[in-house]
Amino acid sequence: MAKEKVNTDSFEYSFRKLEKILSDLEENIDRKSLDSIIENYQEGLKLLKICRDKLSQAELKIEKINPEK
Amino acid sequence: MNLNSLFQNTEDEHPLTVSELTSFIKQTLETRLNDVFVLGEISGFRRAMPSGHSYFVLKDNKSQISCNLWSFRFNQLKFKPEDGMKVLIRGRVTVYEPRGTYAIEVYSITEVGIGELQAAFNRLKEKLLKEGLFDEERKKHIPDFPQNVAIITSESGAVIEDFIKVAKKRYSNFMLYLFPVLVQGKGSIESVCRAIKQANDLPIDFDVIVIARGGGSIEDLWTFNEEDVARAVCQSKIPVVSAVGHEVDYTICDFVADLRAPTPSAAAEMILPDKRELLDNLNNYDYDLKSLVFDRIAFYRESLDRIQSNYAFNKPRDILNDVKIRVDEISDELYKIFSDTLEYYKLDLEEKHDSLASLCKDRITFCKNDLDYKEKILKNLSPDNTLKRGFAVITKHSKIVSGKIDLNSNDSVNIRFHDGSVDATVN
Repeated sequence: MAKEKVNTDSFEYSFRKLEKILSDLEENIDRKSLDSIIENYQEGLKLLKICRDKLSQAELKIEKINPEK
Repeated sequence: MNLNSLFQNTEDEHPLTVSELTSFIKQTLETRLNDVFVLGEISGFRRAMPSGHSYFVLKDNKSQISCNLWSFRFNQLKFKPEDGMKVLIRGRVTVYEPRGTYAIEVYSITEVGIGELQAAFNRLKEKLLKEGLFDEERKKHIPDFPQNVAIITSESGAVIEDFIKVAKKRYSNFMLYLFPVLVQGKGSIESVCRAIKQANDLPIDFDVIVIARGGGSIEDLWTFNEEDVARAVCQSKIPVVSAVGHEVDYTICDFVADLRAPTPSAAAEMILPDKRELLDNLNNYDYDLKSLVFDRIAFYRESLDRIQSNYAFNKPRDILNDVKIRVDEISDELYKIFSDTLEYYKLDLEEKHDSLASLCKDRITFCKNDLDYKEKILKNLSPDNTLKRGFAVITKHSKIVSGKIDLNSNDSVNIRFHDGSVDATVN
């Protein structure tokens, strides 16, 4: 189900954004200015780092929910 | 009264009362038919409330017989008897004297052909299938990257441990909420249903609910074949993954869930992305990003080279070259003009120099001659010649003594002759 809330801090957010930048570049690079390509490139590198950091640093958090009486 | 006397009964002697006959029938039937197995089909099933006793008719294609099922026995059944059901009934025949009717008091009911539980399973499955609860269109999509996962399972045991173990290996970027429940026995149905509802009611944005239980017999897994549990799963707005039992065990819960996992560990693998795969993807994206951008830059560079060698682009350069040539021409001309002029001035200068030189020379010659002449005169006029003739010049304190008046006795004087001078003292 599509979610209304977007957690910009999540792995998925950065990962999806990276995919979007790549597909946009793949499709539209012919129409893009060099400046915007460089901008996309820098953004892409930044997102790559965020994603890798998130994967390697994550620790599973567990919480117990007690049954309702 | 005995049987013989009953059969010898005539209309004259000892007619029987209704009660006597009924009592006789009751006694006969209930004694002889006190434990019978009867095959038939259930019809007209109804449960009387509040007693909870059930009544139905067991029939085949020719006959029918009433059946009573007392409440406490109904509760022991693993399935809900329904019309049309083919069953094997065990019970005893009873006669209800006030009405003169007979019926079977049912001890137990078994579905014919297959096991009782399996039959119940099949029936519920059929029923829910007809309701469309297994339809693919009903299945909710499970997010690729769940952030909040609810797991409904036993707090103790291997299931939760296995799930966590797999999760830690695969992907840890999420919150796992454990809803501890009873997974079998009394109270388990309510416990599971309540947890599903609770997960839906909590203000946590769950991406998926995993209902998990380890392997076991069909009786052990029975909670997950209960209609209440199936309906609770169907009503969940959050996608549900059913991970009950082993690979071979299918439960009703599996069919109504949005996704069926063969085991609890498999559930973790199915709903969680794989960290290693993601890292591979990231490496590919890294490569793609760089090749896309660098290729594009290389393309730009090539284009620039091409444009540079293009005639149209080089036109300004041609113009520039023309200008350069013109400048060279002009500078050549200018140089020529300058050098000509220079040459002219040079010659002129040389001429002037020559005339000046000759002029100077003449003048010098003239002056020299004049000087020679004047020297001669001067020499003739000089005192030296006079001195040679025997005159002398007397000086006192470097002043020429021109007469006697200038001199006193004992004055020191100098007398200069033509060949030298001497000092002298005046007497």
